[in-house]
Amino acid sequence: MSFMDKVLRFFRKKDAVVLPADEKGEVVIEVKDLVMEFKVSKDKIDTLKEYVIRTIKRNKKEKQKIRILDGVSFNVHKGERIGILGFNGAGKSTLLRIIAGIYEPTEGSIKIKGKLAPLLELSAGFDKNYTGKNNVYLNGAFLSMDEEFIKEKYDEIVEFSELGEFINYPVKNYSKGMKSKLGFSIATAVNPDILIIDEILAVGDIKFKQKSSAKLKDMMKSGATVLFVSHALMDILEICNRCIWLENGKIIMDGDTKEVIDAYVERSKKK
Amino acid sequence: MFDTFSEMKFLLKQLVKRDLTSKYKDSVLGILWSFFNPLLIMLVFTAIFSMLFGRTIENYPVYFLSGRLIYDFYNNATKGAMRSIKSNAYILKKIYVPKYMFSISAVCYEFVNFLISFVILFGVMLITGAQFHITSLYAIVPIFFLVILIFGVGLILAVCNTYFSDIGYLYNVFTLILMYASALFYPMEIVPAQVQMIFTLNPVYSAISCFRECVVYGIAPNLNTLAYLAVFAFTVLGVGILLFNIYDKKLSLEI
Repeated sequence: MSFMDKVLRFFRKKDAVVLPADEKGEVVIEVKDLVMEFKVSKDKIDTLKEYVIRTIKRNKKEKQKIRILDGVSFNVHKGERIGILGFNGAGKSTLLRIIAGIYEPTEGSIKIKGKLAPLLELSAGFDKNYTGKNNVYLNGAFLSMDEEFIKEKYDEIVEFSELGEFINYPVKNYSKGMKSKLGFSIATAVNPDILIIDEILAVGDIKFKQKSSAKLKDMMKSGATVLFVSHALMDILEICNRCIWLENGKIIMDGDTKEVIDAYVERSKKK
Repeated sequence: MFDTFSEMKFLLKQLVKRDLTSKYKDSVLGILWSFFNPLLIMLVFTAIFSMLFGRTIENYPVYFLSGRLIYDFYNNATKGAMRSIKSNAYILKKIYVPKYMFSISAVCYEFVNFLISFVILFGVMLITGAQFHITSLYAIVPIFFLVILIFGVGLILAVCNTYFSDIGYLYNVFTLILMYASALFYPMEIVPAQVQMIFTLNPVYSAISCFRECVVYGIAPNLNTLAYLAVFAFTVLGVGILLFNIYDKKLSLEI
Protein backbone atom coordinates (compact mmCIF):
# COMPACT_ATOMS: atom_id res chain seq x y z
CA MET A 1 0.00 0.00 0.00
CA SER A 2 1.44 3.31 -1.03
CA PHE A 3 1.62 6.41 1.10
CA MET A 4 -1.24 8.08 -0.78
CA ASP A 5 -3.46 5.07 -0.14
CA LYS A 6 -2.85 5.52 3.56
CA VAL A 7 -3.80 9.20 3.27
CA LEU A 8 -6.95 8.21 1.41
CA ARG A 9 -7.89 5.66 4.02
CA PHE A 10 -7.28 8.16 6.80
CA PHE A 11 -9.67 10.66 5.25
CA ARG A 12 -12.36 8.10 4.66
CA LYS A 13 -11.97 6.45 8.04
CA LYS A 14 -12.69 3.23 6.25
CA ASP A 15 -11.15 0.17 7.78
CA ALA A 16 -11.13 -3.20 6.16
CA VAL A 17 -14.59 -4.67 6.60
CA VAL A 18 -14.66 -7.51 9.06
CA LEU A 19 -17.72 -9.68 8.85
CA PRO A 20 -18.15 -12.56 11.26
CA ALA A 21 -18.78 -16.00 9.87
CA ASP A 22 -22.01 -17.70 10.83
CA GLU A 23 -23.03 -21.36 10.67
CA LYS A 24 -23.22 -21.35 6.86
CA GLY A 25 -19.75 -19.99 6.29
CA GLU A 26 -18.06 -16.71 5.59
CA VAL A 27 -20.42 -13.73 5.22
CA VAL A 28 -19.55 -11.36 2.36
CA ILE A 29 -22.62 -9.12 2.30
CA GLU A 30 -24.55 -8.19 5.39
CA VAL A 31 -27.78 -6.29 4.83
CA LYS A 32 -29.44 -5.19 8.03
CA ASP A 33 -32.88 -3.57 8.44
CA LEU A 34 -32.59 -1.73 5.18
CA VAL A 35 -35.15 1.03 4.67
CA MET A 36 -35.21 3.17 1.55
CA GLU A 37 -37.54 6.10 1.12
CA PHE A 38 -37.87 8.36 -1.87
CA LYS A 39 -39.41 11.79 -1.64
CA VAL A 40 -42.11 12.41 -4.16
CA SER A 41 -43.92 15.66 -4.58
CA LYS A 42 -45.97 16.97 -7.44
CA ASP A 43 -44.31 20.36 -7.53
CA LYS A 44 -40.74 20.09 -6.44
CA ILE A 45 -39.08 23.24 -5.17
CA ASP A 46 -35.85 23.37 -7.09
CA THR A 47 -35.03 27.05 -7.30
CA LEU A 48 -33.90 29.36 -4.55
CA LYS A 49 -36.49 31.94 -5.67
CA GLU A 50 -39.31 29.45 -5.25
CA TYR A 51 -37.92 28.36 -1.90
CA VAL A 52 -37.80 31.92 -0.55
CA ILE A 53 -41.28 32.76 -1.84
CA ARG A 54 -42.77 29.60 -0.39
CA THR A 55 -41.10 30.19 2.94
CA ILE A 56 -42.49 33.73 3.14
CA LYS A 57 -45.95 32.62 2.08
CA ARG A 58 -45.77 29.60 4.38
CA ASN A 59 -46.90 27.50 1.48
CA LYS A 60 -44.52 24.63 1.71
CA LYS A 61 -46.21 21.43 0.79
CA GLU A 62 -45.42 18.42 2.90
CA LYS A 63 -43.21 16.12 0.97
CA GLN A 64 -44.66 12.71 0.45
CA LYS A 65 -42.44 9.76 1.00
CA ILE A 66 -42.74 6.40 -0.56
CA ARG A 67 -41.08 3.44 1.01
CA ILE A 68 -39.39 1.27 -1.57
CA LEU A 69 -37.60 -1.02 0.84
CA ASP A 70 -39.00 -1.70 4.26
CA GLY A 71 -36.80 -3.51 6.71
CA VAL A 72 -34.88 -5.87 4.47
CA SER A 73 -32.25 -8.00 6.18
CA PHE A 74 -30.25 -10.91 4.89
CA ASN A 75 -26.74 -12.31 4.85
CA VAL A 76 -24.95 -13.49 1.78
CA HIS A 77 -22.25 -16.10 2.15
CA LYS A 78 -19.21 -16.54 0.03
CA GLY A 79 -19.93 -18.39 -3.19
CA GLU A 80 -23.70 -18.15 -2.88
CA ARG A 81 -25.62 -17.31 -6.04
CA ILE A 82 -28.75 -15.50 -5.09
CA GLY A 83 -31.65 -14.81 -7.40
CA ILE A 84 -33.92 -11.92 -6.50
CA LEU A 85 -37.52 -12.26 -7.58
CA GLY A 86 -40.46 -9.92 -7.43
CA PHE A 87 -43.11 -8.18 -9.46
CA ASN A 88 -42.45 -4.75 -10.96
CA GLY A 89 -41.92 -2.07 -8.33
CA ALA A 90 -41.03 -4.55 -5.60
CA GLY A 91 -37.72 -2.82 -4.91
CA LYS A 92 -35.33 -5.25 -6.58
CA SER A 93 -33.36 -2.74 -8.60
CA THR A 94 -33.26 -0.26 -5.72
CA LEU A 95 -31.78 -2.98 -3.53
CA LEU A 96 -29.08 -3.70 -6.08
CA ARG A 97 -28.30 -0.01 -6.44
CA ILE A 98 -27.90 0.39 -2.71
CA ILE A 99 -25.55 -2.58 -2.63
CA ALA A 100 -23.62 -1.06 -5.54
CA GLY A 101 -23.28 2.19 -3.55
CA ILE A 102 -25.29 4.43 -5.87
CA TYR A 103 -27.93 5.19 -3.26
CA GLU A 104 -27.43 5.62 0.43
CA PRO A 105 -30.15 3.83 2.43
CA THR A 106 -32.48 5.94 4.57
CA GLU A 107 -32.02 3.57 7.48
CA GLY A 108 -30.17 0.38 8.14
CA SER A 109 -26.71 -0.69 7.21
CA ILE A 110 -24.93 -2.62 4.59
CA LYS A 111 -21.49 -4.18 4.76
CA ILE A 112 -19.61 -5.61 1.86
CA LYS A 113 -16.36 -7.52 1.81
CA GLY A 114 -14.49 -7.89 -1.45
CA LYS A 115 -14.32 -6.39 -4.90
CA LEU A 116 -17.67 -5.60 -6.40
CA ALA A 117 -18.56 -5.68 -10.09
CA PRO A 118 -21.97 -4.14 -10.73
CA LEU A 119 -23.38 -4.98 -14.14
CA LEU A 120 -26.30 -2.60 -13.89
CA GLU A 121 -26.11 -0.14 -16.76
CA LEU A 122 -23.54 -1.24 -19.27
CA SER A 123 -23.23 1.85 -21.42
CA ALA A 124 -23.98 4.56 -18.84
CA GLY A 125 -20.48 5.98 -18.79
CA PHE A 126 -19.92 6.18 -22.54
CA ASP A 127 -19.00 9.49 -24.09
CA LYS A 128 -20.64 9.45 -27.50
CA ASN A 129 -18.00 11.58 -29.18
CA TYR A 130 -15.20 9.35 -28.01
CA THR A 131 -13.94 6.44 -30.05
CA GLY A 132 -14.55 2.96 -28.76
CA LYS A 133 -10.93 2.79 -27.69
CA ASN A 134 -11.08 5.92 -25.55
CA ASN A 135 -14.34 4.74 -24.08
CA VAL A 136 -12.73 1.52 -22.94
CA TYR A 137 -10.34 3.60 -20.83
CA LEU A 138 -13.00 6.05 -19.63
CA ASN A 139 -15.39 3.30 -18.64
CA GLY A 140 -12.66 1.31 -17.02
CA ALA A 141 -11.94 4.38 -14.90
CA PHE A 142 -15.61 4.72 -13.97
CA LEU A 143 -15.65 1.08 -12.91
CA SER A 144 -12.66 1.78 -10.64
CA MET A 145 -10.02 -0.07 -12.59
CA ASP A 146 -6.55 1.43 -12.60
CA GLU A 147 -4.50 2.38 -15.62
CA GLU A 148 -2.19 -0.60 -15.55
CA PHE A 149 -5.05 -3.05 -15.33
CA ILE A 150 -7.01 -1.63 -18.24
CA LYS A 151 -3.94 -1.40 -20.45
CA GLU A 152 -3.24 -5.02 -19.78
CA LYS A 153 -6.82 -6.06 -20.48
CA TYR A 154 -7.40 -3.79 -23.48
CA ASP A 155 -6.76 -6.36 -26.22
CA GLU A 156 -8.85 -8.93 -24.44
CA ILE A 157 -11.76 -6.47 -24.13
CA VAL A 158 -11.65 -5.50 -27.79
CA GLU A 159 -11.44 -9.07 -28.90
CA PHE A 160 -14.36 -10.13 -26.77
CA SER A 161 -16.49 -7.22 -27.98
CA GLU A 162 -16.10 -8.42 -31.62
CA LEU A 163 -15.95 -4.78 -32.73
CA GLY A 164 -12.81 -5.19 -34.77
CA GLU A 165 -12.02 -2.09 -36.80
CA PHE A 166 -15.02 -0.22 -35.34
CA ILE A 167 -13.15 0.25 -32.07
CA ASN A 168 -11.51 3.29 -33.68
CA TYR A 169 -14.84 4.93 -34.60
CA PRO A 170 -16.81 7.27 -32.33
CA VAL A 171 -19.40 5.53 -30.20
CA LYS A 172 -22.15 7.77 -31.58
CA ASN A 173 -21.93 5.77 -34.81
CA TYR A 174 -22.43 2.47 -32.99
CA SER A 175 -25.64 0.50 -33.04
CA LYS A 176 -27.33 -0.28 -29.76
CA GLY A 177 -26.08 -3.84 -29.92
CA MET A 178 -22.49 -2.78 -30.51
CA LYS A 179 -22.65 -0.42 -27.56
CA SER A 180 -23.91 -3.06 -25.19
CA LYS A 181 -21.38 -5.54 -26.50
CA LEU A 182 -18.57 -3.14 -25.70
CA GLY A 183 -20.10 -2.22 -22.34
CA PHE A 184 -20.40 -5.87 -21.41
CA SER A 185 -16.83 -6.63 -22.41
CA ILE A 186 -15.47 -3.79 -20.25
CA ALA A 187 -17.58 -4.56 -17.22
CA THR A 188 -16.67 -8.23 -17.24
CA ALA A 189 -12.93 -7.70 -17.65
CA VAL A 190 -12.51 -7.85 -13.88
CA ASN A 191 -12.29 -10.85 -11.63
CA PRO A 192 -14.74 -9.74 -8.98
CA ASP A 193 -15.55 -11.34 -5.65
CA ILE A 194 -19.15 -10.22 -5.93
CA LEU A 195 -21.14 -9.88 -9.14
CA ILE A 196 -24.31 -7.82 -9.22
CA ILE A 197 -26.44 -8.41 -12.28
CA ASP A 198 -29.64 -6.63 -13.22
CA GLU A 199 -31.29 -8.42 -16.11
CA ILE A 200 -28.48 -8.20 -18.57
CA LEU A 201 -27.71 -11.73 -19.53
CA ALA A 202 -29.28 -11.01 -22.89
CA VAL A 203 -26.87 -8.71 -24.71
CA GLY A 204 -26.39 -8.35 -28.46
CA ASP A 205 -27.26 -10.85 -31.16
CA ILE A 206 -27.81 -14.56 -30.66
CA LYS A 207 -24.14 -15.35 -31.13
CA PHE A 208 -23.02 -12.81 -28.58
CA LYS A 209 -25.80 -13.77 -26.21
CA GLN A 210 -24.42 -17.29 -25.98
CA LYS A 211 -20.91 -16.00 -25.56
CA SER A 212 -21.86 -13.48 -22.87
CA SER A 213 -23.91 -15.87 -20.83
CA ALA A 214 -21.09 -18.39 -21.10
CA LYS A 215 -18.70 -15.76 -19.76
CA LEU A 216 -20.99 -14.87 -16.87
CA LYS A 217 -21.40 -18.52 -15.99
CA ASP A 218 -17.64 -18.89 -16.07
CA MET A 219 -17.27 -15.99 -13.66
CA MET A 220 -19.88 -17.49 -11.39
CA LYS A 221 -18.23 -20.89 -11.45
CA SER A 222 -14.90 -19.38 -10.49
CA GLY A 223 -16.32 -18.87 -7.03
CA ALA A 224 -17.77 -15.38 -7.29
CA THR A 225 -20.75 -14.51 -5.16
CA VAL A 226 -23.70 -13.50 -7.32
CA LEU A 227 -26.73 -11.32 -6.83
CA PHE A 228 -28.99 -11.70 -9.81
CA VAL A 229 -32.24 -9.87 -10.55
CA SER A 230 -34.24 -11.27 -13.41
CA HIS A 231 -37.71 -12.02 -14.63
CA ALA A 232 -36.39 -14.95 -16.59
CA LEU A 233 -37.17 -17.73 -14.15
CA MET A 234 -35.31 -20.31 -16.21
CA ASP A 235 -32.09 -18.33 -15.86
CA ILE A 236 -32.54 -18.01 -12.13
CA LEU A 237 -33.28 -21.70 -11.81
CA GLU A 238 -30.18 -22.55 -13.77
CA ILE A 239 -27.77 -20.17 -12.05
CA CYS A 240 -28.89 -19.58 -8.51
CA ASN A 241 -28.72 -21.81 -5.47
CA ARG A 242 -30.75 -19.50 -3.27
CA CYS A 243 -33.64 -17.20 -3.98
CA ILE A 244 -35.12 -14.13 -2.31
CA TRP A 245 -38.63 -12.97 -3.13
CA LEU A 246 -39.34 -9.31 -2.57
CA GLU A 247 -42.76 -7.73 -2.52
CA ASN A 248 -43.62 -4.15 -1.56
CA GLY A 249 -40.16 -3.73 -0.12
CA LYS A 250 -40.33 -6.74 2.15
CA ILE A 251 -38.86 -10.19 1.93
CA ILE A 252 -41.70 -12.64 1.46
CA MET A 253 -39.64 -15.75 1.08
CA ASP A 254 -35.97 -16.65 1.27
CA GLY A 255 -34.70 -20.11 0.58
CA ASP A 256 -34.18 -22.86 -1.94
CA THR A 257 -34.52 -21.63 -5.54
CA LYS A 258 -37.01 -24.26 -6.65
CA GLU A 259 -39.35 -23.72 -3.72
CA VAL A 260 -39.34 -19.93 -3.99
CA ILE A 261 -39.93 -19.99 -7.72
CA ASP A 262 -42.82 -22.42 -7.34
CA ALA A 263 -44.47 -20.23 -4.72
CA TYR A 264 -43.85 -17.12 -6.86
CA VAL A 265 -45.43 -18.69 -9.94
CA GLU A 266 -48.36 -19.85 -7.82
CA ARG A 267 -48.92 -16.25 -6.63
CA SER A 268 -48.75 -14.82 -10.13
CA LYS A 269 -51.54 -17.16 -11.24
CA LYS A 270 -53.81 -15.97 -8.45
CA LYS A 271 -53.46 -12.31 -9.33
CA MET B 1 -14.72 0.55 -5.34
CA PHE B 2 -12.21 3.40 -5.59
CA ASP B 3 -10.25 2.18 -2.61
CA THR B 4 -6.79 2.88 -3.93
CA PHE B 5 -5.15 6.08 -4.98
CA SER B 6 -4.18 4.76 -8.40
CA GLU B 7 -7.83 4.12 -9.27
CA MET B 8 -8.75 7.66 -8.26
CA LYS B 9 -5.83 9.12 -10.18
CA PHE B 10 -6.76 7.24 -13.33
CA LEU B 11 -10.38 8.35 -13.10
CA LEU B 12 -9.30 11.96 -12.63
CA LYS B 13 -7.00 11.76 -15.61
CA GLN B 14 -9.72 10.29 -17.79
CA LEU B 15 -12.29 12.89 -16.72
CA VAL B 16 -9.96 15.81 -17.43
CA LYS B 17 -9.07 14.27 -20.78
CA ARG B 18 -12.74 13.85 -21.63
CA ASP B 19 -13.44 17.53 -20.92
CA LEU B 20 -10.42 18.71 -22.88
CA THR B 21 -11.31 16.63 -25.95
CA SER B 22 -14.94 17.66 -25.94
CA LYS B 23 -13.98 21.34 -25.71
CA TYR B 24 -11.76 21.29 -28.75
CA LYS B 25 -13.46 18.58 -30.76
CA ASP B 26 -15.49 20.67 -33.19
CA SER B 27 -13.35 23.77 -33.56
CA VAL B 28 -10.94 23.98 -36.45
CA LEU B 29 -8.59 26.16 -34.48
CA GLY B 30 -8.65 23.66 -31.65
CA ILE B 31 -6.53 24.53 -28.69
CA LEU B 32 -5.61 27.87 -30.24
CA TRP B 33 -8.90 29.26 -28.92
CA SER B 34 -7.43 29.15 -25.44
CA PHE B 35 -4.85 31.60 -26.70
CA PHE B 36 -7.09 33.81 -28.77
CA ASN B 37 -9.77 34.44 -26.20
CA PRO B 38 -7.65 36.20 -23.54
CA LEU B 39 -5.53 37.81 -26.25
CA LEU B 40 -8.49 39.43 -27.99
CA ILE B 41 -10.01 40.60 -24.72
CA MET B 42 -6.66 42.06 -23.75
CA LEU B 43 -6.45 43.94 -27.05
CA VAL B 44 -9.92 45.40 -26.57
CA PHE B 45 -9.24 46.48 -23.01
CA THR B 46 -5.84 47.85 -23.91
CA ALA B 47 -7.32 49.86 -26.77
CA ILE B 48 -10.00 51.35 -24.52
CA PHE B 49 -8.36 51.79 -21.16
CA SER B 50 -4.70 52.39 -21.85
CA MET B 51 -5.69 55.94 -22.84
CA LEU B 52 -7.29 56.39 -19.43
CA PHE B 53 -4.80 54.61 -17.26
CA GLY B 54 -1.77 54.46 -19.54
CA ARG B 55 0.11 57.02 -17.52
CA THR B 56 -0.42 55.39 -14.12
CA ILE B 57 0.13 51.84 -15.29
CA GLU B 58 3.49 51.18 -16.82
CA ASN B 59 2.81 48.21 -19.07
CA TYR B 60 -0.95 48.12 -19.48
CA PRO B 61 -1.29 44.89 -21.51
CA VAL B 62 0.75 42.92 -18.99
CA TYR B 63 -1.00 44.55 -16.04
CA PHE B 64 -4.39 43.64 -17.47
CA LEU B 65 -3.50 40.12 -18.58
CA SER B 66 -1.91 39.14 -15.30
CA GLY B 67 -5.13 40.02 -13.47
CA ARG B 68 -7.44 38.68 -16.12
CA LEU B 69 -5.83 35.22 -16.22
CA ILE B 70 -6.22 34.77 -12.47
CA TYR B 71 -9.79 36.05 -12.51
CA ASP B 72 -10.72 33.88 -15.51
CA PHE B 73 -9.30 30.83 -13.79
CA TYR B 74 -11.31 31.55 -10.64
CA ASN B 75 -14.45 32.32 -12.61
CA ASN B 76 -14.35 29.31 -14.95
CA ALA B 77 -13.18 26.79 -12.38
CA THR B 78 -15.77 27.64 -9.72
CA LYS B 79 -18.53 27.63 -12.32
CA GLY B 80 -17.29 24.35 -13.74
CA ALA B 81 -17.26 22.76 -10.30
CA MET B 82 -20.71 24.19 -9.61
CA ARG B 83 -22.18 22.42 -12.63
CA SER B 84 -20.06 19.28 -12.27
CA ILE B 85 -22.50 17.14 -10.31
CA LYS B 86 -25.64 18.12 -12.18
CA SER B 87 -24.13 17.68 -15.60
CA ASN B 88 -22.89 14.21 -14.73
CA ALA B 89 -26.15 13.17 -13.08
CA TYR B 90 -26.81 10.52 -15.71
CA ILE B 91 -23.62 8.75 -14.69
CA LEU B 92 -24.03 9.23 -10.95
CA LYS B 93 -27.48 7.66 -11.07
CA LYS B 94 -26.19 4.54 -12.70
CA ILE B 95 -22.64 3.89 -11.58
CA TYR B 96 -21.05 4.40 -8.19
CA VAL B 97 -18.44 7.14 -8.53
CA PRO B 98 -17.45 9.43 -5.64
CA LYS B 99 -19.27 12.65 -6.54
CA TYR B 100 -16.45 14.98 -5.57
CA MET B 101 -14.33 13.40 -8.30
CA PHE B 102 -16.38 15.31 -10.86
CA SER B 103 -15.91 18.59 -8.98
CA ILE B 104 -12.18 18.01 -8.62
CA SER B 105 -11.84 17.11 -12.29
CA ALA B 106 -13.70 20.28 -13.34
CA VAL B 107 -11.19 22.37 -11.39
CA CYS B 108 -8.23 20.41 -12.75
CA TYR B 109 -9.51 20.88 -16.27
CA GLU B 110 -9.66 24.66 -15.81
CA PHE B 111 -6.23 24.56 -14.22
CA VAL B 112 -4.85 23.03 -17.42
CA ASN B 113 -6.48 25.83 -19.41
CA PHE B 114 -5.01 28.34 -16.97
CA LEU B 115 -1.52 26.93 -17.50
CA ILE B 116 -1.97 27.08 -21.27
CA SER B 117 -2.94 30.75 -21.03
CA PHE B 118 0.40 31.49 -19.35
CA VAL B 119 1.93 31.18 -22.79
CA ILE B 120 -0.05 34.28 -23.77
CA LEU B 121 1.12 36.23 -20.76
CA PHE B 122 4.76 35.40 -21.38
CA GLY B 123 4.33 36.08 -25.08
CA VAL B 124 2.89 39.52 -24.41
CA MET B 125 5.64 40.20 -21.87
CA LEU B 126 8.22 39.37 -24.52
CA ILE B 127 6.61 41.55 -27.18
CA THR B 128 6.11 44.55 -24.90
CA GLY B 129 9.66 44.23 -23.66
CA ALA B 130 8.68 43.63 -20.05
CA GLN B 131 11.33 42.38 -17.72
CA PHE B 132 11.28 38.80 -16.53
CA HIS B 133 11.95 38.42 -12.84
CA ILE B 134 13.28 35.50 -10.90
CA THR B 135 10.60 36.29 -8.29
CA SER B 136 8.07 34.90 -10.78
CA LEU B 137 8.78 31.54 -9.19
CA TYR B 138 7.14 32.78 -5.98
CA ALA B 139 3.87 33.00 -7.92
CA ILE B 140 3.37 29.30 -7.25
CA VAL B 141 2.42 30.15 -3.67
CA PRO B 142 -0.56 32.48 -4.33
CA ILE B 143 -1.68 30.19 -7.16
CA PHE B 144 -1.64 27.23 -4.78
CA PHE B 145 -3.84 29.10 -2.29
CA LEU B 146 -6.11 30.21 -5.13
CA VAL B 147 -6.60 26.58 -6.14
CA ILE B 148 -7.47 25.70 -2.53
CA LEU B 149 -9.98 28.56 -2.50
CA ILE B 150 -11.50 27.38 -5.77
CA PHE B 151 -11.89 23.82 -4.49
CA GLY B 152 -13.71 25.13 -1.42
CA VAL B 153 -16.02 27.49 -3.30
CA GLY B 154 -16.60 24.84 -5.97
CA LEU B 155 -17.69 22.18 -3.48
CA ILE B 156 -20.09 24.59 -1.78
CA LEU B 157 -21.59 25.68 -5.09
CA ALA B 158 -21.86 22.12 -6.38
CA VAL B 159 -24.03 21.18 -3.40
CA CYS B 160 -26.17 24.33 -3.65
CA ASN B 161 -26.62 23.91 -7.38
CA THR B 162 -28.11 20.44 -7.03
CA TYR B 163 -30.74 21.76 -4.64
CA PHE B 164 -31.43 25.11 -6.30
CA SER B 165 -31.02 25.30 -10.03
CA ASP B 166 -31.03 29.11 -10.09
CA ILE B 167 -27.87 29.43 -8.03
CA GLY B 168 -25.99 29.75 -11.31
CA TYR B 169 -27.71 33.03 -12.21
CA LEU B 170 -27.04 34.52 -8.81
CA TYR B 171 -23.44 33.42 -8.96
CA ASN B 172 -23.04 35.03 -12.40
CA VAL B 173 -24.03 38.37 -10.89
CA PHE B 174 -21.69 37.76 -7.99
CA THR B 175 -18.70 37.03 -10.22
CA LEU B 176 -19.43 40.17 -12.24
CA ILE B 177 -19.24 42.26 -9.07
CA LEU B 178 -16.13 40.32 -8.12
CA MET B 179 -14.54 41.23 -11.43
CA TYR B 180 -15.04 44.95 -10.84
CA ALA B 181 -13.76 44.53 -7.31
CA SER B 182 -10.57 42.87 -8.47
CA ALA B 183 -8.86 45.86 -10.12
CA LEU B 184 -8.39 44.02 -13.37
CA PHE B 185 -8.27 46.92 -15.78
CA TYR B 186 -7.72 49.97 -13.60
CA PRO B 187 -5.02 50.90 -11.12
CA MET B 188 -5.71 50.55 -7.43
CA GLU B 189 -4.74 54.23 -6.92
CA ILE B 190 -7.95 55.57 -8.49
CA VAL B 191 -10.02 53.85 -5.81
CA PRO B 192 -10.77 56.06 -2.77
CA ALA B 193 -8.79 55.08 0.30
CA GLN B 194 -11.86 54.04 2.32
CA VAL B 195 -13.06 51.72 -0.43
CA GLN B 196 -9.61 50.18 -0.88
CA MET B 197 -10.23 48.49 2.46
CA ILE B 198 -13.04 46.46 0.86
CA PHE B 199 -10.81 45.46 -2.01
CA THR B 200 -8.25 43.99 0.31
CA LEU B 201 -10.96 41.73 1.71
CA ASN B 202 -11.55 40.22 -1.71
CA PRO B 203 -9.47 37.02 -1.80
CA VAL B 204 -9.36 36.96 -5.60
CA TYR B 205 -7.85 40.44 -5.55
CA SER B 206 -5.36 39.22 -2.94
CA ALA B 207 -4.30 36.47 -5.33
CA ILE B 208 -4.08 38.92 -8.24
CA SER B 209 -2.01 41.44 -6.33
CA CYS B 210 0.39 38.79 -5.04
CA PHE B 211 0.70 37.38 -8.52
CA ARG B 212 1.41 40.81 -9.99
CA GLU B 213 4.03 41.54 -7.36
CA CYS B 214 5.86 38.32 -8.22
CA VAL B 215 5.56 38.31 -11.99
CA VAL B 216 5.13 41.94 -13.07
CA TYR B 217 6.94 44.01 -10.45
CA GLY B 218 9.62 41.52 -9.50
CA ILE B 219 9.19 41.76 -5.75
CA ALA B 220 8.32 39.17 -3.14
CA PRO B 221 4.58 39.02 -2.45
CA ASN B 222 3.18 40.94 0.47
CA LEU B 223 3.15 38.47 3.34
CA ASN B 224 0.06 39.93 5.01
CA THR B 225 -1.96 39.62 1.83
CA LEU B 226 -0.65 36.13 1.28
CA ALA B 227 -1.48 35.07 4.83
CA TYR B 228 -4.99 36.51 4.50
CA LEU B 229 -5.49 34.60 1.25
CA ALA B 230 -4.21 31.38 2.82
CA VAL B 231 -6.46 31.63 5.88
CA PHE B 232 -9.47 32.54 3.77
CA ALA B 233 -8.81 29.73 1.29
CA PHE B 234 -8.38 27.01 3.87
CA THR B 235 -11.43 28.17 5.83
CA VAL B 236 -13.58 28.04 2.71
CA LEU B 237 -12.15 24.64 1.82
CA GLY B 238 -12.97 23.40 5.32
CA VAL B 239 -16.55 24.64 5.03
CA GLY B 240 -16.80 23.12 1.56
CA ILE B 241 -15.60 19.69 2.65
CA LEU B 242 -17.88 19.76 5.67
CA LEU B 243 -20.94 20.76 3.62
CA PHE B 244 -20.13 18.22 0.96
CA ASN B 245 -19.75 15.47 3.53
CA ILE B 246 -23.13 16.26 5.04
CA TYR B 247 -24.98 16.35 1.74
CA ASP B 248 -22.94 13.84 -0.25
CA LYS B 249 -25.29 10.96 0.47
CA LYS B 250 -28.48 12.91 -0.07
CA LEU B 251 -27.35 14.30 -3.41
CA SER B 252 -28.01 11.15 -5.43
CA LEU B 253 -31.70 11.43 -4.53
CA GLU B 254 -31.83 15.06 -5.68
CA ILE B 255 -30.15 14.90 -9.06
